[in-house]
Amino acid sequence: MSPLRRTPLAWLNLTHDRRRLATSLGGVAFAVLLMFMFNGFKNALYDSQVQLLQLLNADIIITNTQKYNMFVPEAFARRRLYQARAFAGITAAYPLYINNANWKNPETKATRPVRVLAFNPQDPVLLLPDIQAQLDKLREPNTVLIDLKSRPELGSITPGVVTELGERQVRVAGNYSLGTDFASGNGNLVMSDQNYLRFFSNLDPELESRNLGMVDIGLVEVEEGADPDRLARTLSQRLPKDVKVLTKDAFVQQELSYWQDNTNIGFVFTLLTGMAFIVGIILVYQILYTDVADHWAEYATLKAMGYKNIFLLGVVLQEAVILSVLGFIPGFCISVLLYNATANATGLLMQMTVSRALSTLLATFIMCLFSGAIAVRKVQATDPAEVFG
Amino acid sequence: MMDANPTPHNNHAAANSNAGVAIAQSTPAVETHGLNYYFGQGDLRKQVLFDLNLTFPRGQIAIITGPSGSGKTTFLSLIGALRTIHDGSLKVMGRELVGMNNAQLVEVRRGIGFIFQAHNLFESLTAVQNVEMAVELLGGFGSKRAQAIAMLEQLGLGHRVTYKPNSLSGGQKQRVAIARALVNQPQLILADEPTAALDKESGRDVVTLMQTLAKEQSCTILMVTHDNRILDVADRIINLVDGRLESDTSMRDFVTAHDPKTLDPRMFML
Repeated sequence: MSPLRRTPLAWLNLTHDRRRLATSLGGVAFAVLLMFMFNGFKNALYDSQVQLLQLLNADIIITNTQKYNMFVPEAFARRRLYQARAFAGITAAYPLYINNANWKNPETKATRPVRVLAFNPQDPVLLLPDIQAQLDKLREPNTVLIDLKSRPELGSITPGVVTELGERQVRVAGNYSLGTDFASGNGNLVMSDQNYLRFFSNLDPELESRNLGMVDIGLVEVEEGADPDRLARTLSQRLPKDVKVLTKDAFVQQELSYWQDNTNIGFVFTLLTGMAFIVGIILVYQILYTDVADHWAEYATLKAMGYKNIFLLGVVLQEAVILSVLGFIPGFCISVLLYNATANATGLLMQMTVSRALSTLLATFIMCLFSGAIAVRKVQATDPAEVFG
Repeated sequence: MMDANPTPHNNHAAANSNAGVAIAQSTPAVETHGLNYYFGQGDLRKQVLFDLNLTFPRGQIAIITGPSGSGKTTFLSLIGALRTIHDGSLKVMGRELVGMNNAQLVEVRRGIGFIFQAHNLFESLTAVQNVEMAVELLGGFGSKRAQAIAMLEQLGLGHRVTYKPNSLSGGQKQRVAIARALVNQPQLILADEPTAALDKESGRDVVTLMQTLAKEQSCTILMVTHDNRILDVADRIINLVDGRLESDTSMRDFVTAHDPKTLDPRMFML
């Protein structure tokens, strides 16, 4: 300790009793853990909805005007993509076909709905390495690639398994890894556009048959250096109004906003996070209050000696800040472990990003300062005259 | 006892900012005129101090005694600038405390050394750090360690500077508290039952140390005590009963009145 510095009273008071420090940090860490988990579940539910969209290899996305989320089955005419390709600055436009179909579990023979994503294997639509490596298998008739993270209800999905998709025989040619979302049913299947025709162009009369002329999602690539925002605006103005043109970011955001604004996910988990925050405030307040109450005579003596209130407030707030930082570290580490465990157990997309870690750190910081601000009232009320007698 | 650097009589600013700077030596350390003090407000208002007129010259060691509830501790806390006063006059080191606001009172306190019945040391700080807390108050960050150690050595705790209060005996803890009170060389020391928590021997040691250091630094000590064993260190004994001055005896009269045969030899040195 440098002799030129003030005695670090806050630090020494906190660390003096190791056992109490450990309990205090445990309390803060637990509050941090709760906030991380609730936030993690919320973000996982949101992130899962857009993970496929984010993988799409496009700068601009074209959809039917009525398709405001991935549940809406409205498609648009493929010629809009040809029209888009004619604009300066646009290098390519690929169609992605999406259809729901029933998958028969090869073991139990029970059928479950799945989502089929289809595209021309020559088009760079989904750049997942596993998919890119198995494009040849897609070109064989009646084959699919199936997501390893599909629901277990689909039964055996190892390559070579033969079962039925939409009452037509299908062979699992390979696997890849993506994950499910609310619109994908029990899992995502990938097939070629030719197989898509084989499966869906000639459905029962009550079902709507599909053909390659009606596209679900159009993927548009722009020239290097071109501004996707500007091009998206141009396309939006110049193409007929039956299609909606968005940059990829805006398209992802549209999907996210739908889930944020139209479901209770956000409300429920924000409420839970808020409750964890308040639990944290109460815990830290208890810790700080106990410290002040236990050292009441010492703090009052400092006041009698001529220390001002502001100094003592500083000590309590420093203790709050130290608790927030020291408690955050174990809370963060345990959360990372639990994120991995949760992701493995549930298939949810539990992502710990830098910005999420920092925002929780900030919340912890505010939580501790808030408790400190309540606890300092006890110090302010300390009357030095009462130390006498 | 008089030191040779008289500062101008009206130089209060210098006195405010540093307790080590002597104020004009002619002003008494503490002076009260018609001092009244009340607890409570309105119908519950109760007077605890009545018309006190006392003057404590510099360098004097005065013991304030009296039955409990006599207002002696309240009197001490008023002199210590720990309460706001509205009635009468109370001058500490020449500064009128009546009518001062809180910030001014804090400023006055910095020039006073407080010793309490309990040592009130931070368990988390070592002996030397506890003393340094007092040095930091006046900003001596560079020299605080040296000052604190020097003070502890004077109190015979040179070998205990890095001990925490838990590892010190009761007498040692009280001596650390005294070091904390004296390290800034205050002109006035207020002690509230400093020996109450100590056994006879440590109590005696503590008081003798206070006496020696006070004489060296020529500071005034006002001590509230019930402890008859330490009355002999006082120059003057003041007895308060029910908030009124009952008796004000100089040490000579007190000793004569109580036991003329055992005159304290110290009397002849004065």
